[in-house]
Amino acid sequence: MEDELYLENIDEFVTDQNRIVTYKWLSYTLGVHVNQAKQMLYDYVERKRKENSGAQLHVTYLVAGNLIQNGHTCHKVAVVREDKLEAMKSKLATVTSVHVYSIQKALLKDSGPLYNTDYDIIKANLHNCSKFSAIRCADAVPRTPAEVAQARTLARSSSQTPSDTSAVSTPPLNGHGPTAAKQSSQPPKGIMGMFAAKAASKAQDANKEPKAKEAPSVSAASSKPSAKGNIMNNFFGKAAMNKLKVNSVPGQPKEEKEAVKTSVPATEPESSPNSIVEKPGRKTEPAKIQQKDKKSKMKRMDKSDNEEEREPENQKKKRKRIKQLESDSSDEEDVPASPTLEEEKAPSPPPLVPALKAELEPASTEASAGGKKRKRKRVLKSKMFVDEEEGCMVTEKVYESESCTDSEDDFAKTKPPAVPKQPALPVKKEPKEERKNQKKGAATASRANKQISIMGFCQKK
Amino acid sequence: MFSAVTPLPGRTLLGPPSAEPPTFARTGSDFADRSQPFRLGERSFSRQYAHLYATRLLCMRPRLEQQARLRWGDGVLLRKLCQLQVGERCCVVGTLFKAMRLQPSILQEINEEHNLVPQPSLAKYVDPSDELVLEDELQRIKLTGSIEASRLVTGAVLAVYGHEQEDGKFLVEEHCFAHLPPQLPWQGPSTDRFVLLASGLGLGSGSGESLLGTQLLVDAVTGQLGAEGQQSCAALISRVLLAGNLLSQSTQSRDSLHKAKYLTKKTQAASVEAVKMLDEILLQLCSSVPVDVMPGEFDPTNYTLPQQPLHRCMLPLSSAYPTLQLVTNPYQADMDGVRFLGTSGQNISDIFKYSSMDDYLEILEWTLLAGHISPTAPDTLGCYPFYNSDPFILTDCPHVYFCGNAPKFQSKLLTGEDGQRVLLVAVPAFSATQTACLVNLRDLSCQPISFSVFGAEDDSDMEVGQ
Repeated sequence: MEDELYLENIDEFVTDQNRIVTYKWLSYTLGVHVNQAKQMLYDYVERKRKENSGAQLHVTYLVAGNLIQNGHTCHKVAVVREDKLEAMKSKLATVTSVHVYSIQKALLKDSGPLYNTDYDIIKANLHNCSKFSAIRCADAVPRTPAEVAQARTLARSSSQTPSDTSAVSTPPLNGHGPTAAKQSSQPPKGIMGMFAAKAASKAQDANKEPKAKEAPSVSAASSKPSAKGNIMNNFFGKAAMNKLKVNSVPGQPKEEKEAVKTSVPATEPESSPNSIVEKPGRKTEPAKIQQKDKKSKMKRMDKSDNEEEREPENQKKKRKRIKQLESDSSDEEDVPASPTLEEEKAPSPPPLVPALKAELEPASTEASAGGKKRKRKRVLKSKMFVDEEEGCMVTEKVYESESCTDSEDDFAKTKPPAVPKQPALPVKKEPKEERKNQKKGAATASRANKQISIMGFCQKK
Repeated sequence: MFSAVTPLPGRTLLGPPSAEPPTFARTGSDFADRSQPFRLGERSFSRQYAHLYATRLLCMRPRLEQQARLRWGDGVLLRKLCQLQVGERCCVVGTLFKAMRLQPSILQEINEEHNLVPQPSLAKYVDPSDELVLEDELQRIKLTGSIEASRLVTGAVLAVYGHEQEDGKFLVEEHCFAHLPPQLPWQGPSTDRFVLLASGLGLGSGSGESLLGTQLLVDAVTGQLGAEGQQSCAALISRVLLAGNLLSQSTQSRDSLHKAKYLTKKTQAASVEAVKMLDEILLQLCSSVPVDVMPGEFDPTNYTLPQQPLHRCMLPLSSAYPTLQLVTNPYQADMDGVRFLGTSGQNISDIFKYSSMDDYLEILEWTLLAGHISPTAPDTLGCYPFYNSDPFILTDCPHVYFCGNAPKFQSKLLTGEDGQRVLLVAVPAFSATQTACLVNLRDLSCQPISFSVFGAEDDSDMEVGQ
């Protein structure tokens, strides 16, 4: 009865489903050896023809053999239609194999559909494409990822030793020296090592400080399906912790605002691309956050001193957006000197946002113009943070990729072209900001922090 | 499967299914990679090419002097150009330079005074007015006499025998090249073992005609095609070597550079799709046979010779298999004790352009006799500015010397003066000819294997594959 089964299967494929049944397709579908599939096809053709000589069945054959051509023998493998089979066989000096290649209902004009059939079934079975083949290769066992990594390190070390012995002159001269490659491989290890170390320390810190506010934000972050979710959490936790420390000074509404904000950026981070990019970024995150923390603490202390000074200053600066923005940007460049570059590489708003907020909190009670100064910094640093009140953060990376936020970004980056806008905007901005001032201070801070832009107006209205 | 090997009389596949069909084990392959000289680590392009020429001359001078003594007697005078005296018959060793009128020159192109339109690329740049100049370390001298300028190319190192004339030109009576270097001892297998050489798969060309042919090739090698006899013979293929141009020339189109950004925003390079296809094909091959992949002119790797291997990140599926070897162009390896050396064809096609030789096999033989894989590098073929060594000089005579992407299949067994036996193979481009080569390692014979499928046209098309 098993014999009948495959016949029925083939019958179904050919007549009912109107498929092109190649030997390879049949072999994968029925899970049999290719030779058996070929025999099955032949058997089916024979039986069908015996039963019903008018059966509409077209068969293609594979013929292989030796051909004498121009005096030398050439091995030829050809797929031929049934009607050309004998002609082909007679052309060949010796025929080494003939078997059925495919069966189909319709007459094939060319061999394209044959290829497509095989292509599809192979694509579906890429991982075991030699399973039903007649030849097994003992060496062809795919490596596991562990072995791959091992092989890579071995290759690196083995290429170093011959280069050391064979290198006549310094490596760059003859291009034979992987010693430079060795050095370049160590820095990544260094970065990764640092990253791993930081992650470990972060894990400890984060675990030590459970806070209620952190819990929702942390859980929000941890819900992200990411391999580095844990590390992200740690950063987030640490940053949130820092932020909360600073928050204790300003006041309740700001804390609430921040909680909202941190949960919102939590939705952002993992949408950003590239784990590799994030890794060096994260390495710098701890450094930056610590730096920010210090800064924020300092600012907090200074706040009371500077507040009175700042207000008149900022009110003056309200009119002069250009200067204010420029001074903001220069401030920003001074303050986070080294991490700026890495920030641009690594889009990770949450650690940045809370840290920035830590700075902004002391400034929020000041006049909106002064807050603007701070907000400008935030804009330039953070990335891909969309919030109705905040607008998009500005970094070079965002600027390039998100053209929709051009107006805000443009304003930050291209100050001269934005100059004509500015005199008009401040006038309108001020009353809004003053209004906002009466509301939550944090809200004011966020409003002013938003880049003055046309889009901002649309959102407001 | 192959003419020399009689297939085992197995069961015919034109019959009802029989019991468990046999599976054959792939014959093992003893492999050693010898292409270390062609692998570059740190590369510095701040040097001039003069060092390369100097080291080439320095390395080849002893061999040429030895050849000169063999040909013209031990007492032949070996002179440097600065020591020449008028009328004295002597032998001079130097590098050849051919001054060609039609050779494309970038300086002429950008010279606005002349207002020249850039020259169209010709098939051949030879011209009857080409002149040969011999250069050694210090001087150069024009060559006349019985030396055929059209056949020779810049960069070849040779020894000329003649004398200097009054007009300052050197009258050549005879000349000779370095000839074949000594060959390694033969350690080939005693049973039939085959290596499949294929090149010019040309994936990503957009035309599907050669795709089924490629699939047939893969199936034949992996043992899915053919009757049992053929499959058992296919199991004797111990290695597959893909000699360049895995991607088609059409993947090189750089339209996106000239088009407006808004038109090309969502397009991706044609080579991306082609490399994915290549990965799948290589996966099928690698799961059954060791494969060496050499890059070619249109493949995503560097342009200058020696081309570095394709990066394994482009082939994620197949690079999991240890049977995949990504190797340089040119490539040298010992397969089952047989030394293979070959390129993807850029060196040969470059010599084809600048010399009157038309036959790829003839050019291949000439490079072997000249003792240098690609003499025209760096003049007309891009080359890395080596400093202390020229890895293209032939130091050992290989057993199999091949070049890929030839217009048609050709092979020849060359015997050298010292008893060296070299099989020269011009591997045809598969996308055009649907032909690959099978080299039998036991007796250094080569047989083409061609694939054909039926098309919309008639029988006559079946001859195309040959």
